[in-house]
Order: sequence, then structure tokens, then C-alpha cells
Amino acid sequence: MAVQTFKVPDSIKKDMRYSFCPGCDHGVAVRLVAEVLDELGLRENTVAPASIGCSVCLYDFLDIDMVEAPHGRALASATGIKRAHPEKFVFTYQGDGDFASIGLAESLHAALRGEKLSAICINNTTYGMTGGQMGPTSLIGQVTTTSTMGRTVENYGYPIKIAEHVALCDGTAYSARVSLDTVANIRKAKQAIKKAFEVQLKGLGFGFVEILSTCPTNWHMTPQQAHERVRNEMMKVFVPGVYKDITANKQD
Amino acid sequence: MEKNFIIAGFGGQGVLLAGEVLANAFMLADKHVTWYPSYGAEMRGGTVNCEIVMSDEEVSAVNKKDLDFLVALNQLSFDKFLPKLKKGATVIANSTLVKKSQPIEGINYVFAPLSELATELGNVKMTNILSLGLLAKELGFENLELLEQALDNVLPPHRKNLLPLNFKALKLGYTYDLVKQ
Amino acid sequence: MAELTIGKKILTKGNYAIAHAAVLAGCECYFGYPITPQSEIGEYLSVKMQEEGRAFVCAESELSAINMVMGACSTGAKAMTSSSSCAVALMQEAIACACTDELPVVLISVMRGGPGLGYIYPSQGDYNQATITGGNGDFRTIVLAPSTVQECVDLTYKAFHLAHKYRNPTILLADGLMGQMMEPVEFKPYPYEEIDHSDWALTGAKGRPARSIKSLGVDVDKQCEHIKNLFAKYKKIEENETEWEEFDTEDADIILMSFGSPSRGVKSAVKELRKQGLKVGFFRPITLFPFPHKRLAELAQRVKKFVVIEINMGQMVRDVRLAVNGAAKVEQINKPVGAPIDVETIIEEVKRMI
Repeated sequence: MAVQTFKVPDSIKKDMRYSFCPGCDHGVAVRLVAEVLDELGLRENTVAPASIGCSVCLYDFLDIDMVEAPHGRALASATGIKRAHPEKFVFTYQGDGDFASIGLAESLHAALRGEKLSAICINNTTYGMTGGQMGPTSLIGQVTTTSTMGRTVENYGYPIKIAEHVALCDGTAYSARVSLDTVANIRKAKQAIKKAFEVQLKGLGFGFVEILSTCPTNWHMTPQQAHERVRNEMMKVFVPGVYKDITANKQD
Repeated sequence: MEKNFIIAGFGGQGVLLAGEVLANAFMLADKHVTWYPSYGAEMRGGTVNCEIVMSDEEVSAVNKKDLDFLVALNQLSFDKFLPKLKKGATVIANSTLVKKSQPIEGINYVFAPLSELATELGNVKMTNILSLGLLAKELGFENLELLEQALDNVLPPHRKNLLPLNFKALKLGYTYDLVKQ
Repeated sequence: MAELTIGKKILTKGNYAIAHAAVLAGCECYFGYPITPQSEIGEYLSVKMQEEGRAFVCAESELSAINMVMGACSTGAKAMTSSSSCAVALMQEAIACACTDELPVVLISVMRGGPGLGYIYPSQGDYNQATITGGNGDFRTIVLAPSTVQECVDLTYKAFHLAHKYRNPTILLADGLMGQMMEPVEFKPYPYEEIDHSDWALTGAKGRPARSIKSLGVDVDKQCEHIKNLFAKYKKIEENETEWEEFDTEDADIILMSFGSPSRGVKSAVKELRKQGLKVGFFRPITLFPFPHKRLAELAQRVKKFVVIEINMGQMVRDVRLAVNGAAKVEQINKPVGAPIDVETIIEEVKRMI
């Protein structure tokens, strides 16, 4: 008897090929988003902004209606869509540069307003698309093309802990940080995405997931080494966990 | 025919509202009219003024070089705008706060202790409306119907209870005996 | 302010007139950030939109506001923002993006003095900002310039109509004077037909392939084709929508030109100069894009001189020179910022030019 062990989610476009670098965690993250869209039956009712960075081509991968927002403005665009059509499911998928550097105001204010939106932020400690410059999440000591001697506090200040910041916003219903370095963590990541989507569907407020991800190309590492870096270096600063969940002690 | 007015005074004396009432009255009389305020930092503490231009045709411009009518509710406004009056123009001045003087010739000076009259009426805030009553007389209005209707247009619902007092103030200004004073 | 009723004349401020016209035009979403001299628009709509069950958001910045508008417009909704000069400057990237994305954005731009912070007095310093814009790439915005409070109403209606008819960002370019002045106006019902957006709007990929609206143009050939199509659309807009006001131009030797609120004084000056026996005409572009190039080129064949009067150091005059193309003299009367030049001064200056 044939058993199906692998299925491309309906929310992924047919005959699509990822344009991400080999070993990049974006592919896994996009697939998780697609699986959750499928499982919650959201594909046909979704309108989502695309963001700028490696995430920009999301409309090439996901089989949903999308509008590309200028750099950093994904959650402003999402607010516009949701306010015009509260019945639609609206989420963003952004990098850390888009979400937490150029778009920090848009991101935190969407959370503060308690917009019924969900946001996924890929944290890979660098600007991937432009070739590995220092970003808002680059770790202290990290060598990038704009911190060639390593990030120093004196010159560059500190990396931002995004999930914690979002959790501080009173309009946030759910904020978590996950990683994709092991199968178990990938499963946890999917659960977090689902939760962030569900709080929107229930009208509870802003749902957020920060996903610690690899950038093997700009880190100059193999995918395996890159995941070790996620575990050994990133997780020490960006500790995975649920930082806010207003549904935690409630019965469904 | 185009006539232009400036109503000026301290912030809080209700000059913008008085101007709005006057402009409304002209609108009700089927005239073309434009109201334009001084606005911004000037609003706090200093003088506030608004310009009203009434015309039989489309109103051309605001910010006119010279004036047909000035209502000055305080000294500062009197001093500031008097030089802008045309020959033969009229100034209505609140003599409670403006010294009775006639520094420029060829101007029709109308002094009345508007703030005192308003206080006697029970509310010093009626100073602006009293001045409109005087102005109506100077403009040769046959009665106060238009201004009363204009007041009704301008006052928001939660202030409509003040209409009778406003009407009284209008009338007091309109019938004020300038000769007796 | 007085109750705004359809079909009844009321005295109201330009800013309120614009705001209420937007409501009557069916604006479903307003996103904005306060700035003088246009804050009354947001204040009025904060109440009215909620009464009507429509969307109103105090955005955290103008940047965010215009992007919220773009998001709402991507669903085909009628949405707008309003702002002024230095804050409209913040929106330039989004305007370019909305033009190439063909989103029906409506932007109310109430000009104040500049450059930089400038001050809240009126100005026309943003003719270039509206018609050329500071956005990147090749595109055009539709720009309408009211000169009376009644036109604030009528052109707000028109801004929504044109934005949606052509799927193109449309700017209502008023100034602080227009925004703050009160005049009697009549609100008629929104006179335009509703536009069907079902063939492009994002509503969820149900029963049809997914749609994407994007400015990323990786394929150079496709990008060329897209931009050529945009410019074909702009040509159509020029052919169909160019609007202006003119009088006494038939036998005029000199035509005085102005746009927006200063054109009122210019109009008076023309009438007075005519009374004095001078052959002077009046011309006021109502659409700044599309600019009435064609009509001006015709007039330039027999008019000796155009005098362009602006509250800036000469911005529209460039469009006039392009249109006239050397066929007649073009002169300027300018004041950098502030209330319009008074009628007497215009008359004096024009007489000096004869």
C-alpha cells in the first residue's frame, strides 16, 4: 500500500522553485507558513503584504494575493488592508532589517494598536539580500561587511531582542521566538506560527513569531555549521520561548 | 461691490466666532463671502483676528491692503489695524479696553464700552456679539434677523442654550445710544 | 461647525469641506498624522468615519499613513490621507511606488511654507513636489488645484473619481489659505459612477489565480513594457481630463496665469486692468497634471506675453515655458511664501511690464 510521506502544501504555488540560497532557513519557514495557511483554511481569504529583503519574492512562492510594501512598511500596509477588510486574514513575513530596523516604528505601533494582524520575522543577524551587512540583530563580535573587525558595543551598540520588545506592547496577544535548527524546533516553530495566526482569527490582538534563521552564504558557513551557530551563539542572546500569550491560562 | 472687515482682539474674546457669525449673515443674504483667520502661534496670548470679505460677485482675495470696517476689541488691535482703514471707513472700538482717541483723520470712530455692557448683561463673553450689534447698525441692517439666524447656524448644539443671551447682546449693541454716551 | 447637509448652503472651512466631501465620495479609510494647516481634516474624520462605521487610524507617522493607504487601496477600497509640505516630503517613496503599482491613492496636500520646517503660513512651494514629486523612477501623479472652498468639495470628489478611474495616485493640492478660509458651499451627492475593481483588486485568491501587486521589476523587458503602458495611460489622462479656467483671452495681448488661491486676486487684477482698457486675459490651470499644454500652445500663437503669478519663486512657470515653447514671452511675479500677492501690487507690476 502506498503511503504519502510528502505533500506540497496547497498554499505553495505549483511548479514553484525557491530562489533562496541552498541551506537557507527561509525555505523551511515559508513552508511552515504555507502548511498553517492550509490547516487553518486561510489561503483563499488571505491578503498579505510582501516585505523587502530576501523575503520579497514571497508572492512567487505562496499562492495567495499579495501586495509588495516599501521597505519597512509591511505592517502599515497590513494595517491598511485589515482596516479596509476586517474579514480578511492578513499577515506579514519580514526579515529583521525590515521589521526591526527601518520598520521598527511601523512594527511596534501595529502591535501597540493591537491590530488584528500576524507577523513573522526572520532573524538571521544580517542583511542577506544586500550581501551580509551588519543589521539590527547582528551579534556583538559578529563580522559583517560593515563591521569587518566585528561588531563592538562602542561603535555599533547592541542587537535588538525583537520578541521581547513586541511582548511589551499591550496590544500584543502572542509573541514567541523559535528556531529551525532541529526537527523538534521546526515542529515548535509551526505551533508558534499557528498560534500567532489564531490570535488574529479570534480577534485577540497582534500575533508575532521571531524565527532564528541561518544565512549560510553571508555567514560563510555550511548549513550544518550555520545551525550550530544558531544553537551556540544566537540562542544565548536571543533565547527561544514564548514571551507573551494572553490565551495561556484560558480554556479554548 | 466688495466690502472687507477685520474683527480683532485678544485670544478668548471670540473674534473668530464673531467673524463666522457675520460671514454667515452675509451668506444668508445671498452675498458672496470669505472668512479668513489669523492662525498658529499668534493664537495664544497675542491678538487674534479674522478678515471677512463680502461681495456681490465672487470674492477675489483675502489679505486686503486696506479695510472698510474694523472691529477692535482691545488696544493692540486698534493700534495695529487702524492704519489699514480706507478714508471714510468705520472702526468700532471697545472703549472698555481701547483709549478713546482719533489718531487718523477721515475715519468714522464708534466707541462703546462693550466689555462693561457685556458684564452688565451677565457675561463678559458677549463682548464680541455686542460688537456685531453695533456693526449691524453701522451697516444699516434693518433688523437683526440675519444675524440671529447666523448665530443659530454657528452655535453648536450644546451651546444653543446661550442663544437668548446672544440675541440680547446683539440687540443691546444694535440699539446702543452712541449720542448719549 | 454647522451641520453639513446635502443641497443646503453652509459656511465652512476648506479643510472641513475636503473632509466631508471625502465622506460623501465614499472614502472607506482615512489614515493620517497631524500637521498644521490641515489637521482639521483628521479631526473631523476621526468623528465622522467612526459614526459611519468606516476606518480611521491615527498613524505613527506620515510614512506609515501613506503606506496604510496603499495597503487599503490594494484591495480596491477608497482610501486617503492628508498632510502638508514637509510631511508630504516623507511620502515620496510611497507615491512613486503607488504610481507603478497603479493604486488609487488619494492624497490631500495642504501646502505650508518651506523649505524644511518653514512655517504654517500659506505657500505654493510644493507645485514641483506634487507634479514632479521626489519619488524615484518615471511616473506621473494626477494633481488638482482648488481656488475656492466650493472647489475643495468638487475637486475632492474628482480626486477620488480620477484616482479610481485611472488607478493612479491623485493629489488635491490646496494651501494653508484654502484650508483655513471659510466660504459658503453646497454639498451635492457624489456625481461619479463607482468603478469596478474586481479584475485586479486583492480580495483573496478564491476561484481564481493568486494576484500580486509589486514594484520589483527584475525583468528589464517587462519593466520597459510596464512603464510604457503607464505613459500610454498618462497620455489618455491628458486627452480626457485636462481642465482649466480662462476668460478675456480671445483678444488678449497679455495673459495672467496663476493656480490655487492666489488666482483669485489675479482674476480681480485682470478685471480691473480690463476696466482700464488694457487687453488682459486670465488663465488658471485646474489640473496641474495633466497640465493644459495644448491650450497654452494655441494661445501662445497670438498672445504676446504670459505673466505667471505664484507664491513660490517660479515653479508652474516652467510648465508654462514648456507649453509656450518660445512663441510668446513669459514673465513672473513671485513671492516666496505667505498670503497671496494683493491685487494692487499685481496691477502695478503688470502695468510696468507693458
